[in-house]
Amino acid sequence: MTVGGGVTKAGTTREVKGEDEMTAGEPSAADDAWGVEHPPSIVRPFLLTAGRIAGGDSLVPTIPIETQVVATDLGLATLDAFVFDQHRDIITICRQPQSLAEIAAKLRMHLNVIRVLADDLRADGQLALYAPQAESARDATVLRRVIDGLRAIPDSRGAIRER
Amino acid sequence: MVSELSPTPGARSVSADTEGPRPPMPVKMVIAGGFGVGKTTTVGAISEIEPLTTEASITSVAAGIDDLSHTPEKMTTTVAMDFGCVTLDPTLKLYLFGTPGQERFGFMWDDLVEGALGGLVIVDTRRLDDCYAAVDYFEHREIPFAVAVNAFDGKVEHDLNDVRWALDVGDHVPLTVFDARERGSVRDALLVVLEHALATAQQ
Ligand SMILES: Nc1nc2c(ncn2[C@@H]2O[C@H](COP(=O)(O)OP(=O)(O)O)[C@@H](O)[C@H]2O)c(=O)[nH]1
Ligand SMILES: [Mg+2]
Repeated sequence: MTVGGGVTKAGTTREVKGEDEMTAGEPSAADDAWGVEHPPSIVRPFLLTAGRIAGGDSLVPTIPIETQVVATDLGLATLDAFVFDQHRDIITICRQPQSLAEIAAKLRMHLNVIRVLADDLRADGQLALYAPQAESARDATVLRRVIDGLRAIPDSRGAIRER
Repeated sequence: MVSELSPTPGARSVSADTEGPRPPMPVKMVIAGGFGVGKTTTVGAISEIEPLTTEASITSVAAGIDDLSHTPEKMTTTVAMDFGCVTLDPTLKLYLFGTPGQERFGFMWDDLVEGALGGLVIVDTRRLDDCYAAVDYFEHREIPFAVAVNAFDGKVEHDLNDVRWALDVGDHVPLTVFDARERGSVRDALLVVLEHALATAQQ
């Protein structure tokens, strides 16, 4: 394991850090408590997350939903050691980088549960999380890159997508 | 491999020596509007994956009608959210989130929308009321947005100036007509939002 240092370059992702950074500058949402409605799918993951939940006034940082998640070598090496299927499933599908939203959709789990589990696995070095840069939405360079990328998309698809 | 660290003092990063494939930088846009206006159709028209659905939480704010103090009542509600993505190049991936929202209630998607490049509010001219909440939200959060009239079957029931007047959006908000089923049309509507976001960022 390496604890590295460096400065985030423009136009790259940055790695998600501990709680202190993730919560800094976020709007306070003290009233935004979870739990008025508990969908049935929450019951088991709630055990798995030891009652912790993301979002609102939770202590768990609200990781952006588009954050990219990748299994580390350590995570892949310890696949067989996970007690919970959900941990194993997350590591397995994150052989390919994907967003928190995709993980939640594919594993059919609530986004806020995935946030907690992914953050746990990150803390254990089994997942690497790359959050978007906080300022990219106001960054003209980023906006121009997205505009150029979109402009290159043709009117219709060359091949019909599988349905 | 040395992991990147943010310049934030005190931030820690622990990362494996070798990591998996380096992911692209994710950026996102929000597709909003009332029920049935064509949000999922819009996402599906341009997404490289079949739109996925996930459960997410939003905070709804119901006006305290029975409440003499008029304190808005906040509730966290679990909603289904559709989304898709477009890999623009190996280092840049655009996510499109179709935000759910109930009409007649204010709602807050902060948790989903934080950091979005911009928003596209889809409007069905037969049911203009359904998009007020989305317009209000983007205005209050100061997220660059455009209004796109979904021309169901090529028909727009109202003059665009009438739509602008009815929605009470300022002249600075771009207003366009598009077809949610056409990839090129969706691309162009997203470009309207992004050009507006760029102009705003450069002010
Ligand atoms: N004819 C026509 N139908 C459309 C168009 N856009 C959406 N629809 C249909 O309208 C319905 C609602 O669209 P959907 O994308 O699910 O709306 P959402 O609730 O905003 O996600 C679906 O049956 C779509 O096939 C359009 O431009 N023309
Ligand atoms: Mg939909």
